[in-house]
Amino acid sequence: MSEYAENLSSALVQRRYEWIASTVDSTVKKGSGEIFTLTDMLDQVFLDKHLGIPIFLTILWTMFQFAFAVSEPFVVIIERVFEMLGAWVNQAISDPYLASFVSVGVIGGLGSVLVFVPPIFGLFLALSILEDSGYMARAAFVMDRFMYRLGLHGRSFIPLMIGFGCNVPAIMATRSMDSEKDRMITMLISPLISCSARLPVYVLIAGALFGASYAGTAVFAVYALGIVLAVVMALIFRRTLFKGEPSPFVLELPTYAVPDASSAILHMWSRGRMFLKKAGTIIFWATIIVWLLSVHPWEATSGGQVIAESYIAWIGHAIEPVFQPFGWDWMAAVALLFGLVAKEVVVGTYGILLGAEEAGLGDALVSQGLFTPLTGFAFMAFVLIYVPCVAVIGTIAKETNSWRWPAFALVYQTALAFIVTGVIIAVGRLAGLS
Amino acid sequence: MIRAALIGNPNVGKTEIFNRLTGLSQKVGNFPGVTVEKKAGRLVHQGREIEVVDLPGTYSLTAHSVDELVARDYIVLERPEVIVDIVDGTNLERNLYLTLLLLEMDANLVVALNRWDMVKARGMEIDIEKLSELLGCPVVPTVAITGDGLEDLKDSIVDAAGQKRAKGQDAALNYGCDIERLISKVEDLIRKSPALVEKYPQRWLAIKMLEGDEMAMEQTRACLSSSQLAEILSIIEAVEAAIK
Repeated sequence: MSEYAENLSSALVQRRYEWIASTVDSTVKKGSGEIFTLTDMLDQVFLDKHLGIPIFLTILWTMFQFAFAVSEPFVVIIERVFEMLGAWVNQAISDPYLASFVSVGVIGGLGSVLVFVPPIFGLFLALSILEDSGYMARAAFVMDRFMYRLGLHGRSFIPLMIGFGCNVPAIMATRSMDSEKDRMITMLISPLISCSARLPVYVLIAGALFGASYAGTAVFAVYALGIVLAVVMALIFRRTLFKGEPSPFVLELPTYAVPDASSAILHMWSRGRMFLKKAGTIIFWATIIVWLLSVHPWEATSGGQVIAESYIAWIGHAIEPVFQPFGWDWMAAVALLFGLVAKEVVVGTYGILLGAEEAGLGDALVSQGLFTPLTGFAFMAFVLIYVPCVAVIGTIAKETNSWRWPAFALVYQTALAFIVTGVIIAVGRLAGLS
Repeated sequence: MIRAALIGNPNVGKTEIFNRLTGLSQKVGNFPGVTVEKKAGRLVHQGREIEVVDLPGTYSLTAHSVDELVARDYIVLERPEVIVDIVDGTNLERNLYLTLLLLEMDANLVVALNRWDMVKARGMEIDIEKLSELLGCPVVPTVAITGDGLEDLKDSIVDAAGQKRAKGQDAALNYGCDIERLISKVEDLIRKSPALVEKYPQRWLAIKMLEGDEMAMEQTRACLSSSQLAEILSIIEAVEAAIK
């Protein structure tokens, strides 16, 4: 037996490597000396001890800017199309029930969510390009030193990045981690990474309350809040539930490559179509239910005109007290309630409740005075943190093969949402904001 | 229909090759029993229909991570006609480990030597014929991002599906007589169970048991008598003792 081997299986592994070395030796002729490749050059900069993290943050910020800037004109186009469609439906359909269903339920509810297809696709495109170029692995490498100190595993970084798109694949991506503890921590904190489903809510609220010049900063602040909370929770979980050191991190850095356009687009499409599928199924049904509740009883609401008399207003008023300390009204309460299904439904619910065909939904929010900048930002934070959507809960259940962990995620996130939102409101009021 | 599976280390261009091969015909599902994403697609080449399944990217095929286990179970239990191992030509040392494990599984292998453009750009030379001879399977140079070599790869898949790798063909790697003796001892014991012979490549299973692979142990436990199992365990123990 080999003198180096500690046991049989390492002896086997050693023989394999010996065989590989001899095979490579007899088939491969190395190039004339090591050349300093473009990859080496780029890595000198991107992996630099001091520059690495600032560069990464800049790239991250650029990614969001790119996603929003590229998608902006398309959002406007879609908005206009739905507005026109809504106006046309009201004229073309004489039956008031059907007209309300199509114009308020489908166009107002589902349409207000579909407006966000462009930024979501933009974000997916940016993520695909970052991945295909080979930078994502560098980002994980750069962040590892920092994350290790926080008790997080460097490999958990990639699932977290994927989480910006959607938390479901992020949780699935934790499978590549071989330490069960590292994996559980990553799984539990990944819903705090702000996924694209929450984006419509931020864009709506921030766009309405902070104006064009500050909306981007407000949205970026919520994303940053998500990251900070994820890090804090990881630290807490590492100290309490999953004690121990993160396992060592071995990561291979692929060579940089110019991303292939068709492959990036295919990538974007395969992720983006999940959103479209969700819009056609779960979001659609949820908004229809919201619509039904908002026009019934039909007589009392005079055919959906007086929402204050509807079932949904009744539900809203019933749970409103819970959110009153935050300065939110009953509409926010029901929006959050139905947002449990999927967070896009928060926007869909507002689309129905405010029936905003004539002006943009954001303008309606402002004119009704539903939020101040402070309560609006707190609302964005609450949407970020509270209960991950049904799909995430289901995925955690599947991945951990238990109902204990998804239940735990649900409870801790809801509690965290109330705490953080409370702190935001309290600090804001102390600072003299209303 | 030919069933082919793509496997390879992470970041070798496996996804690009899969996309190039299957285009928009992709279907996404899950591997049975677990939530690992299973992507499958179809193409027609030389009049033959080929179904391509994209296995998770892995470095190894141990029982430690879900991804590796899924890839391994798919190869052993589903027995696709052809396994396409995508290898980074610029880093054979690391990539061949998985190739070797696949050969051990009696997989009908086609090796795609990807990043062939980078190999040339770096002034490396790879003797493809020799490599193919040493591995005992076809080796096709490819460039996933441009699509070069993919037609050859498709040809090789169809060819390989036509000629099944002979069972028990000489193993690419000889572990040296001391270990080989152990492997054949365990193999002899495995052969006593028709169920195991039917289900698994014997040499592979023997090696896995010698490695103390949990899944292999569990799966054999059901098929072997306790005295046979005890015998295997005593072989392993004896060796471990000898090493120490």
